[in-house]
Amino acid sequence: MEAVNQRAKELLEKGEIKAVLGYAKGTGHVRRPHFARKAGQVDQLVLDAACLQNLAVYVTKHEVKKLGKVAVIALPATQRAILQLMAERQLRDGELVILAVDGEAVKELDSAAALEEHLALKAQGLDAKDKALLAELDAMSREQRWVYWQNELSRCMKCYACRNSCPMCYCGTCTMDCNRPQWVPVASHGIGNLEYHAVRTMHLAGRCVECGECGRACPVGIPVHLLTFAAEESIHEQFGQRAGAKAKLDYALSTFKTDDKESFIR
Amino acid sequence: MDEKFEPKITAFVCNWCTYAGADLTGTSRIKYQSNVRVLRVPCTGRIDYMMVLKALHKGADGVIVSGCHPNDCHYTSGNYHARRRWMVFKKMMEVMGVDMRRITFSWVSAAEGARWAQLVNEVTDQVRALGPYAEFRQIIGAGIE
Amino acid sequence: MSRIGVFTCHCGENIGATVDCVKVAEMCKDIPGVVHSVEYKYMCSDPGQRQMQEAIKEHQLDGVVVAACSPRMHEPTFRRAAGDAGINPYMCEMANLREHCSWVHEKGDATTQKAADLIRVLVEKVKHNEPLHPIKVPVTRTAMVIGGGVGGIQVALDIANGGHKVVLVEKSPSIGGHMSQLSETFPTLDCSQCILTPRMVEAAQHPNITLMTYSEVEKVDGFIGNFKVTVRKKARKLDEKLCTGCGLCIQKCPNKKISDEFNEGLGTRTAIYVPFPQAVPNKPVIDLQNCTYYKTGKCKVCEKMCPTNAIRFDQEDELVTLDIGAIVLATGFKLMKTDAFPEYGYGKHKDIIDGMQFERLASASGPTSGVMKRPSDGKEPETVVFIACSGSRDRAKGVPYCSKICCMYTAKHAMLYKHKVHSGKAYVFYMDIRAAGKDYDEFVRRAIEEDEVKYIRGRVSKIYEEDGKLIVMGADTLMGGEPVVIKADMVVLATAVQSNDRSEELAQTLHVSYDSYGFFAEAHPKLRPVETNTAGIFLAGACQAPRDIPETVAQASGAAAKVVGLFSNDELTREPIVAVVNRQAAPVYSTCVGCFLCQGACPYQAIEQEEIKARSGEVIMTLARINPGLCQGCGTCVATCRTKAIDLQGFSNEQIYAELMTL
Repeated sequence: MEAVNQRAKELLEKGEIKAVLGYAKGTGHVRRPHFARKAGQVDQLVLDAACLQNLAVYVTKHEVKKLGKVAVIALPATQRAILQLMAERQLRDGELVILAVDGEAVKELDSAAALEEHLALKAQGLDAKDKALLAELDAMSREQRWVYWQNELSRCMKCYACRNSCPMCYCGTCTMDCNRPQWVPVASHGIGNLEYHAVRTMHLAGRCVECGECGRACPVGIPVHLLTFAAEESIHEQFGQRAGAKAKLDYALSTFKTDDKESFIR
Repeated sequence: MDEKFEPKITAFVCNWCTYAGADLTGTSRIKYQSNVRVLRVPCTGRIDYMMVLKALHKGADGVIVSGCHPNDCHYTSGNYHARRRWMVFKKMMEVMGVDMRRITFSWVSAAEGARWAQLVNEVTDQVRALGPYAEFRQIIGAGIE
Repeated sequence: MSRIGVFTCHCGENIGATVDCVKVAEMCKDIPGVVHSVEYKYMCSDPGQRQMQEAIKEHQLDGVVVAACSPRMHEPTFRRAAGDAGINPYMCEMANLREHCSWVHEKGDATTQKAADLIRVLVEKVKHNEPLHPIKVPVTRTAMVIGGGVGGIQVALDIANGGHKVVLVEKSPSIGGHMSQLSETFPTLDCSQCILTPRMVEAAQHPNITLMTYSEVEKVDGFIGNFKVTVRKKARKLDEKLCTGCGLCIQKCPNKKISDEFNEGLGTRTAIYVPFPQAVPNKPVIDLQNCTYYKTGKCKVCEKMCPTNAIRFDQEDELVTLDIGAIVLATGFKLMKTDAFPEYGYGKHKDIIDGMQFERLASASGPTSGVMKRPSDGKEPETVVFIACSGSRDRAKGVPYCSKICCMYTAKHAMLYKHKVHSGKAYVFYMDIRAAGKDYDEFVRRAIEEDEVKYIRGRVSKIYEEDGKLIVMGADTLMGGEPVVIKADMVVLATAVQSNDRSEELAQTLHVSYDSYGFFAEAHPKLRPVETNTAGIFLAGACQAPRDIPETVAQASGAAAKVVGLFSNDELTREPIVAVVNRQAAPVYSTCVGCFLCQGACPYQAIEQEEIKARSGEVIMTLARINPGLCQGCGTCVATCRTKAIDLQGFSNEQIYAELMTL
């Protein structure tokens, strides 16, 4: 942490960046995002096991882009999200200083190519807890899964916290806001919720960096991240592609192989 | 279950292969069950998964999605993109517990008139045997529209 | 509120016998927005169409649903009729009551109900139809022909004679292609060069044809009628304007032992060379790999000798960008080499040659001046074995297809050999004799009956050398598979025809499809054999599949006719069924977020970047834009777009949603 803060201070003092985005202490154990805009504020930044949020969600925001060049303290999931955003042309090389933190090690990166190289060295995988949850879902019968999700989704009130916390949900006009035609009903009733989560999952399939932010953001505790995780894992299994791994766009749903293997098309 | 249950089947087909194949079924005067309602789109690549969801939303008990066989797409590769989309969509629907026996994906070429009749009959019989899609109808019922 | 008319057709008994059309027409009156609903015996007949047109005027209809046969059959008819009556043709839709209802279901209420449902769906669609206007695209009336073999020359001449400009691009120093290497041609045995060279000269001198030899296509942008093609003119190291083609440089070049490609390695050439004496243009090039000056920095003999000072050692490749309206691919083929055959000695034996090498041996302008001499020792071969299907129809060699020309040229080779060596013995091993074509089978019979060529139906398993003879071990399957051993002096393999080197690369540059063997794919195997899936790009000759000369020339003229047809109008008219990215007022500009995930989904590379700029010139955002000239309207991008920023005209989200909501 010392080294990161030191470097952040340096960059701020030299005027190379306008702010550092990192974590600060919130209420209790919570860590909240923090923009240090002066060298003196850098000391408020903390980095510990309680820092979970994917900070990449902020860097595409108009307000942040307007600041100028910003440094981001980027944990692995944030790194993947930034790389995917670069591949999707939402961020340019050199627009950010990425202070990539992996355990004790810190690396300063500023381009998609450098991020790709950096991330290639690390294995990406779900943590044990999520793996177990997915396995549990998998073990259920189809009917049980239906009941499980209907139960879970019955609590959804379409607050869109899952959408808003996701770094990949940067669209200016979300499909949910599309009303000509009104594909997805606005109300948070059975069909409205099912369709919302189906669309959210399909939109993130092949783009989800598996940070799990959506699940953490849900105020009523619906494990919505399991949906995007399942889609992402199945894409990796079927096509070998992963979001947040390549500098050049490699989107599973706009590429194909003539011998893609499926068994269900009659 | 209602004894006189007749399933509602919605089919999304591409203009160049399956729609033309269904035309051939007609010109060959091959009979099939009349439950299906066909929606024509240019290519399977145009078939948004939202259309499938909307068909279920409107109370379809079964859905058919059909286009050109791999390699035969009028637009060279629309069907390959569609195939991938379906591979992901199917997986996701399964995770959410949607009954995938009600959604049939198939390739029917412009020369396969008999195959189209057979497909429609098979799907209609299968969905009739499954009965109305009660689970889905329940959540539609929960809607206040 | 819409004013929609529904016109239900009985199609005589075809619909009327199973669907209660009168009832359907009544039912349709209740659909909101329908102000007029009638039925008629034959809607497509003149009185039927007139009835519809009068109703459009009388009831001020703004949309029409014709419930009759398949739109694939009569949509153009009714759209034209609707257009003539004063409404936009794209405000007319067809409900398919015949192929999708009356012909496939039994008579009854359910069938009548289905007919009404089908109409209801289309009525809802029409309510959301937008008037569309055919897309007009200007046409640059200059064609580019890639490949200067007999096919390319024919295309160029036909288009040029049709009054249009043609740029003929050839990668080697001269046009002429494989045909210029042939000795004599089947089934007439006329001399190949004698019939080809006049065509080559004609192409070179034609006022409408620009030759670009020793040039390769590097990049293709744009779309039908409006291509921008970048061609690399490779440096000949020579000022073509000054060179008179006197040939002094060639005579004096000290480096004379270079294997000659034109003679298939059976002869030699110099480092500065013209491929063959009748080359067009008759201007030499310097072979950089073998030129002494480029290897050692010393020599320049040619420069000293040149009477017009035309040699330019400092000349660089030149990139030329041209505006082109249509492109014809005529890049030809290559032959599998003898080294692909382990069973025949991996090409180690000098006297096992391929078909093209035999052509050079038999050619009067070849390395032996047409005298039969085998390559190893120059002796006249007394026994020659010809092996048809060498590589072709052989999955193990990766060529499951028939190379088509070998049966004929093998018969020709055997015949030519017998004509030159009267006492010689010629054997042909074959699988089947495929001699379909005018005078083709007669030609093969002549080889067997008059020239006494021995045809043996069977394969050759092995060839090895023993005491200066090639031992050919085969079998005669017509004699119960009996082994046949022939001691030969020379063996000619009719090796497989393959797609040319780098054809896949070229296909990718031009965005045309190709098959797994690298042959370019036609748009439709039967009905559109000279077109590719990319509008404005056509095919001629063996770049599409193995072809002989008559077929190549016929296809070339076909492709030329397509190009001339395309050039017969100032503008191209295209169906407006294309995708469009929405545009909105500032500061939103579009719901497109510029992620360009759609780009990969487009089969036609039609999705471009458009920069939205402020007055200061600063780029505010980069959005997707679909080039209506390239878009074919499949809609794959529409389904890929997350923000629904792309929509497909004629099959829009609103239309499809409305259709779905009626079900």
